[in-house]
Amino acid sequence: MKQEWRRRLTYGTNAVFVTGLVVGVLVVLYLLADAYRVRWDFSAEAGNTLQADTVKKLALLDADGETVTITAFSNQRGKDDSYVKDRAIEDLLTELDLESRVLDWRIVDFDRERLTAESMGVTEYGHVVVQRGSDRIDIRDRDLFRRKGRGADRQLEFIGETALSRALSQLLSPSRRVVYFTRGHGEPNPSERGPGGLSELVSALDVERFDAEPLDLLRAEEGAAPVVPEDAALVVLSGMRGPLSAQEEDVLLEYVGRGKPLLVAVDAGAPVPAFLARMGVRVPDGLAMDPTLVFPYRDRPVPVYKSHPVTDGLRESGLVTVLAAPAPLSLVEPSPDGVRASPVLVSSRDGWIERGGELEGGTPIYQPEIDGEGPVVMAAALQLLPGEGIVRSSKPLARVLVVGDSELMTNALIGDGPGNRDFMINAVHWLAGEDNRTGVVTARSASSRRLALSQDQTRRIQLVSLTVLPSLIALLGLFTWYSRRGR
Amino acid sequence: MSVAWAIFKKELRIYFVSPLAYVFLGVFLLLSGLFFYLGITMTGEASLRVMLGNLSIAFLFLLPLLTMRHFAEERRSGTLELMMTAPVPLWALLFGKWAATLALCLALLLGTLLFPGILLYYGDPDMGVVLTSYLGLLLVCGAFVSAGMFSSSLTDEPVAAGLLGVIILLPFWVAGSAADMVSADWLRRALRHLSFLTHIEPFSKGVVDTGALAWFALFTFGFLFLTWRSVESRRWR
Repeated sequence: MKQEWRRRLTYGTNAVFVTGLVVGVLVVLYLLADAYRVRWDFSAEAGNTLQADTVKKLALLDADGETVTITAFSNQRGKDDSYVKDRAIEDLLTELDLESRVLDWRIVDFDRERLTAESMGVTEYGHVVVQRGSDRIDIRDRDLFRRKGRGADRQLEFIGETALSRALSQLLSPSRRVVYFTRGHGEPNPSERGPGGLSELVSALDVERFDAEPLDLLRAEEGAAPVVPEDAALVVLSGMRGPLSAQEEDVLLEYVGRGKPLLVAVDAGAPVPAFLARMGVRVPDGLAMDPTLVFPYRDRPVPVYKSHPVTDGLRESGLVTVLAAPAPLSLVEPSPDGVRASPVLVSSRDGWIERGGELEGGTPIYQPEIDGEGPVVMAAALQLLPGEGIVRSSKPLARVLVVGDSELMTNALIGDGPGNRDFMINAVHWLAGEDNRTGVVTARSASSRRLALSQDQTRRIQLVSLTVLPSLIALLGLFTWYSRRGR
Repeated sequence: MSVAWAIFKKELRIYFVSPLAYVFLGVFLLLSGLFFYLGITMTGEASLRVMLGNLSIAFLFLLPLLTMRHFAEERRSGTLELMMTAPVPLWALLFGKWAATLALCLALLLGTLLFPGILLYYGDPDMGVVLTSYLGLLLVCGAFVSAGMFSSSLTDEPVAAGLLGVIILLPFWVAGSAADMVSADWLRRALRHLSFLTHIEPFSKGVVDTGALAWFALFTFGFLFLTWRSVESRRWR
């Protein structure tokens, strides 16, 4: 009897030990597989795969190491599309979580957890709160979804990744910076809401945590020379109708000499700052034309993107930037000392510089004897090296972006050109030295595949799925039972 | 391998010559039809996501009923002793039974192919998502069958084995809901890892995730190993 128990104890101990060991190994194997997971997205349009820009922002947040908390409040139960909306948000948060070490998220049932909603100051369904430390960004339902199409084709489009990516971008810029817009030369007004104003650009900059301020370089306090304020993250010189005074030119050159960035948008036939020539950029007479890529007229060319941080994301996402009657730019060869110039927007090979002459069917045509040969540069990025010309040796490298059109950033065109807004935001980030913040997150087009069924069709589906199939199986079972009866 | 194949065929024959498989198939298809109908009327989407999500939970309760007699019945009728003394490798016995039940599950899932057919007829479902969802369900079946076999190896009462199977599987379901209720971050993450719903979720939206594949493979292997230890312990207990 004693021997029997000893045998059992020995075998039992061994069994427990081996089992524990195997379970431990399995857990370790799972943790390894989880840490080095690979995902293949087989859904149409790879709808579950995060866009490169979102992944880049998550990596930057990971590098900071501070926890980002996302609290998503559910949509109103039983209301149209609430299920689809809640699921879309949850799917997105799951994907974000898999890509980040610092992200913590949860879905809160708005109806059941009113206290949580109240404590966070949330008063509406479908609200998302993104927090990092004391920083908080609120995203509303209308920023996450939008309706597309009409009538029976009306669809719900999920734009949550764009909204959340923007929120992550805001978290990466905890302090607000100032973009100064020059005034006094007929420039568009940043606060004006009309077609010629810049209010939409200013709103987009606000989301990126840039404040827009006017800059008057002609007026200064008594006894003091005009100067660009120290807090300027960027100066925008756009759409001048009158020339800069010598004093203003000097002030802006002094500002760039401090290693500070400048965005210059010139128009065809309008005055051009003289300092551009010192930077190796000339603005020849005429208009940049393109017969192949137009939106929808020849004087609204769709430029080709050259490889540059400002345009790489736009090219990948297939968003086009549209310019209106742009001025051609010419980059002096070789570039002046200390200047590195690269084209950013160019026309197609068939583009040319239109300088008048005959029209064909009411539209300009290329005439070699009058017009300039293409392709035409429509935007150029300059990097001014310290100690070799304009920028003082003790200062950092200065960035300047010259665009042959100021209209692309006005309310009239910023929403018209699918990529205009992102082009401008990318440009501002690049100029501010935030190369890793440039990128584009587009909306998902096919968020849900609707099934429009008539009452008759619904009844038919009900009949087939609830009656026909189970009955067939029951008959098959009865047949089997009957045929094997008595065996 | 031939022994495993023989056991596989024998188990499959038992399923299909008895009315059990048909009753099971009928109930399963009725439930599937209900989930399918509710899913499309509730969401208005050409998608099987609601149906497949609910089916994975239904499997939690149904599959232990399929596996409950695997060892419990054999032990009660004394045939397990015969097998243990016959030159049948234990792994072949386990694998044959497991594969036969999985084959029955495959037949169950094939029966539901009518539903993607309906969606194709009336709408434009994402077939990539449909295919990965079925792959996920098959993985769930493999995992739950192995857990059911383990519960069957613990007792000689088939009904008790079925109940025990459900009890063993329940924590892997409720862990997902529990995760949303806890505030401690590490615990929430641990509970999410434990829940099979977390791991079926990528498949249900068209993603094949190696982490989830590993979870199901290791879960299946783990419970088959426990079953092997449990059956094998009869030799020295």
